[in-house]
Amino acid sequence: MLRAMLRDLRAHKGRIAMTLVAIVLGVTFVVATLVISDSTAASFTGAGTRSDVDLAVRGPEEQPILTRADVDRLAGVPGVTGATGVLVARAAVVGTDGKIIPGRHATAGTGWDDTGRFALTEGRAPARGEAALSRSAASEAGLTPGDEARILLPGGRETRVVVAGTFDYRTLGVESVPEVAFAASAAGELLGDSYTRVELAAAPGTQVSAAVRQLTTAPGLTVSTGEELAAEARDEADSAARSTRESLLAFVAVALLVAMFVIANTFTMLVTQRVRQFALLRAVGASRRQVRRTVLLEAAALGFAGATVGVVAGVALGLLGMWAFTPADEPVTYAVSPLAVGIGYAVGIGVTAVAAWGASRRAAAVPPIAALRLDATSGGPGHRGGRVRAVAGAVLLLVGVLAVALLSGEGLSTTERVLCLAAGVVGWLGVLLLAPLLAAVVLRPVARLAGRRGGPVARLATRGAVRDPRRTAATSSALLVGLALVCAFATLGETMVSMSGAAVRTTVPADATILRSASGDDPLGADVLDRARATPGVDRVAADRYTLVGITHAGGTGRTSVSAIEPAGFTGVLTPRIVEGSGDLRRGVVVGTNEAAMLGVGLGDEVAFEFPGAPPVRQEIVGMIDTIEGQPLFYLDVDRAPAALRDRVTTVYAMGDARAALDAAFLHRPDVAVTDREGVLAEGIAEFQLLLSVMYAMFGAAIVIAVFGVINTLALSVIERSREVGVLRAVGATRRLVRRTVRLESIVICGYGGVLGIVVGLLFGAVMQHVMLGNPLFEFGAPMLVVVISLAGMVLVGVLSAMWPARRAAKTDVLTAVRAD
Amino acid sequence: MQNQPAARARALTKVYGDGDSRVVALSSVDVEFYSGRFTAIMGPSGSGKSTLMHCVAGLDAPTSGEVFLGDAELADMTDNQLTALRRDRVGFVFQAFNLLPTLTAWENITLPLDLAGREPDRELADAIVDAVGLRDRLHHRPAQLSGGQQQRVACARALITNPDVVFADEPTGALDSRSSADLLDLLRTSVDRFGRTVVMVTHEPAAAAYADRVLFLADGRLVDELTAPTADRVLDRMKHLERVAV
Ligand SMILES: Nc1ncnc2c1ncn2[C@@H]1O[C@H](COP(=O)(O)OP(=O)(O)OP(=O)(O)O)[C@@H](O)[C@H]1O
Ligand SMILES: [Mg+2]
Repeated sequence: MLRAMLRDLRAHKGRIAMTLVAIVLGVTFVVATLVISDSTAASFTGAGTRSDVDLAVRGPEEQPILTRADVDRLAGVPGVTGATGVLVARAAVVGTDGKIIPGRHATAGTGWDDTGRFALTEGRAPARGEAALSRSAASEAGLTPGDEARILLPGGRETRVVVAGTFDYRTLGVESVPEVAFAASAAGELLGDSYTRVELAAAPGTQVSAAVRQLTTAPGLTVSTGEELAAEARDEADSAARSTRESLLAFVAVALLVAMFVIANTFTMLVTQRVRQFALLRAVGASRRQVRRTVLLEAAALGFAGATVGVVAGVALGLLGMWAFTPADEPVTYAVSPLAVGIGYAVGIGVTAVAAWGASRRAAAVPPIAALRLDATSGGPGHRGGRVRAVAGAVLLLVGVLAVALLSGEGLSTTERVLCLAAGVVGWLGVLLLAPLLAAVVLRPVARLAGRRGGPVARLATRGAVRDPRRTAATSSALLVGLALVCAFATLGETMVSMSGAAVRTTVPADATILRSASGDDPLGADVLDRARATPGVDRVAADRYTLVGITHAGGTGRTSVSAIEPAGFTGVLTPRIVEGSGDLRRGVVVGTNEAAMLGVGLGDEVAFEFPGAPPVRQEIVGMIDTIEGQPLFYLDVDRAPAALRDRVTTVYAMGDARAALDAAFLHRPDVAVTDREGVLAEGIAEFQLLLSVMYAMFGAAIVIAVFGVINTLALSVIERSREVGVLRAVGATRRLVRRTVRLESIVICGYGGVLGIVVGLLFGAVMQHVMLGNPLFEFGAPMLVVVISLAGMVLVGVLSAMWPARRAAKTDVLTAVRAD
Repeated sequence: MQNQPAARARALTKVYGDGDSRVVALSSVDVEFYSGRFTAIMGPSGSGKSTLMHCVAGLDAPTSGEVFLGDAELADMTDNQLTALRRDRVGFVFQAFNLLPTLTAWENITLPLDLAGREPDRELADAIVDAVGLRDRLHHRPAQLSGGQQQRVACARALITNPDVVFADEPTGALDSRSSADLLDLLRTSVDRFGRTVVMVTHEPAAAAYADRVLFLADGRLVDELTAPTADRVLDRMKHLERVAV
């Protein structure tokens, strides 16, 4: 029995090869994704952390509360051979455009020392009048050793230094990475006299810890050993790695799903093609169990072989991907976890076995009489399973659509949002289960039309596509998943961009000149607002003081964002669209309608903002406006905000014909960027686009695998139909016609997967934007460009995937039709 | 008419494989198939009947020798020319698996015309459909037809293009006697009524009896010929042949 099977397998080397290719591809994809995820996570650990310090005295949370005197005192402890204060202060490198480079500048300045914090990558250590820059800051600002650099210092001062070299920073414990290191002798003058920590070196064999601890009794100071600091760094890195891995899990899941489709589909085909063989075996007396066991055994063997190759290829591909996509100045750790290898094998063998299980049951159920039927491969048993699947799919789709419809209203609570998203996923799964039925429903009329109107190519190709809807569906499902994801995220992105554009455009007048921090996150200097107000031509100004803050309301507590603004400016400069109540901030706060719904608050309710280090600010809600996430959700009268917030101006809006005057006024202020509404929007979009393109790249990989799946299926079905092709050739079809038929069938299958994928993607994207942005369900921005590219891409994919199978079909020997197989 | 061959072969030789597995399937066969005649080819299994037919029909290339269909020499033709020739001037009925499963009976019948981009000649099509007796089955798929019906569809397809020659390789091999008789009647009718030339390979003396002339092959050579055959006379010759072969 087994021998008969093995011989049969050997006789169909082509099919075996295709099945193996499918398994290898699927496993490769999953393993590569895991390796990239592991390596990305691991890159947070290890590289660039130090433990080469005996003791370190630190202030709380990197606050620079240590002084020169502290350093000197610690240096005097018996047994201490060296004490180095780590100076940290504001510093920002000015880029080629005359504005500072973006980044976290508050802790970016420090003094050079030999403790091992710095690893020179180019040039040399800085002397007086020089500075070394971190590699990323240097490349961002376009500076190389020998160039003159402008550096912004605390208090708005500026210095010019020569770039002596560039460095990679090695962190000790948890600390932020500096960008600029001045010569030790000059650092004090430039940056002031505040240290975040003092690093101590002790003579070998001495115990200085106790003495040091006695000296550092000031509140907040901690003394840690090198090992403790290393452990702290490791913990931090581990948790960063964990969260990275979690966020990459989505990609792994997609990889798994797509791989499963490709493998299951191919293996099912392999078995289906041999139905007649099985029927013959059954006819000569093999029991169902024997047939089933043989198929399973074969699956396990193929799965194991494919998984082995796939794991190796996946590891190689993953490492290659890491190497290719990491910027040169970032440390990379290459990690291959046993889990990745295990999952690779589990997918290869598991999915093959599951696919084989279904196929083997079908094979075993083949009645011996099927051996005598001529066209044993098409149709065949398994209709009951199809019906169960269709019913399950319909139920899921219905439940999903109903739930989304119920939750399509505005103002969803957090739970409702999660439910709505889940309903979207359920509906999507429903579509996947329904895919064979949908393929039949959608493609049959197409085939009928093509049969009536089109020539033989159209007729044969469309009939070929509907011939086995289950296979067409399975082939296109991998495409469907990849494409739907791309389209869903594109929809979310498009909506986000157009909404934030719309929100900013309604709220901010087009002719306002906008002043923002060039660094991105930092607040503007305290003088900027006054200078703007005093600039000739400016008649009115308003200033956002934007911050995240804790909030307490009747329903509980949470976090929100608030902007403290001048009441006159809120309605006199900005143009918020008041939906309900009034915009008079003197009487209370104004809140976005979405946020109000999320928190479950309304007009007249009281909320309290918990600013750090200040008593809660209690306010009544007097108005509701249209706004979205990313914009301030609450607006508060600046006079009621704590003093600390009042001076933290984040954006200044200046009205009047004063753009040129403001440009001139802030020409020599590298920290202030002068722009306008569209400039602000463009910046936001660029940032978001970058994020989206990463998404596209990842899901695009899924599409590539799906394309291999299509090639595989086509090639297998061409092999399977070689007799038919032979007949076709015998009665007068040219090679070209055969090629065109296969190509068109491929385009039909890909087109079906593509259209379904795009529709599902748009709908799921609509749900996502509804859930995440609180926008009405059907007011989503359709990503037309992505849709058009996807459609064109699917036709291209159809043509490309058909290339090899079509050529193979065209080569079919005419006599195949007459020869027995 | 008798002297005008629709197809002929000269010194036709076909060798499969080489070395140890070398098989001479046909060795220097000279044969003519007369126009408007029904010729049967008989011979023991492995004697080269199918090979002869494939070579003459342009399905396979001979190792040496010449094959003419009408005046056209097949050896000079490109693949596309051969394809067009098969489509327009030759009809086939194989022993089994003649039809494309996704096309209906009618679509299968008209496939060669379809491939040529031509419309079927209404009158001829009607006559053929009536002759094969499948008028009420035209929109069925092959899977919904019996074996005999499938063979008749294949026969109709072979006739629809008004071909110079119809080749049939054991067309009744998988049919019961009733269906066989129907099919053979059909081939006979196509010769008598439509003036077709038919070449048929068969194992059954009763089937050969429908022909005007029977050729006997053995070991890749033409060894005998019989005109106006009856089943008994064919059987006689066959027995004789087998005795010689042993
Ligand atoms: N593709 C091939 N490769 C090698 N040998 C072949 C091939 N086709 C046929 N032969 C050999 O050529 C010889 C003639 O074969 P052919 O099929 O023409 O016989 P036949 O007379 O049609 O037999 P049957 O009555 O069994 O159909 C046989 O010995 C066969 O083994
Ligand atoms: Mg034969």
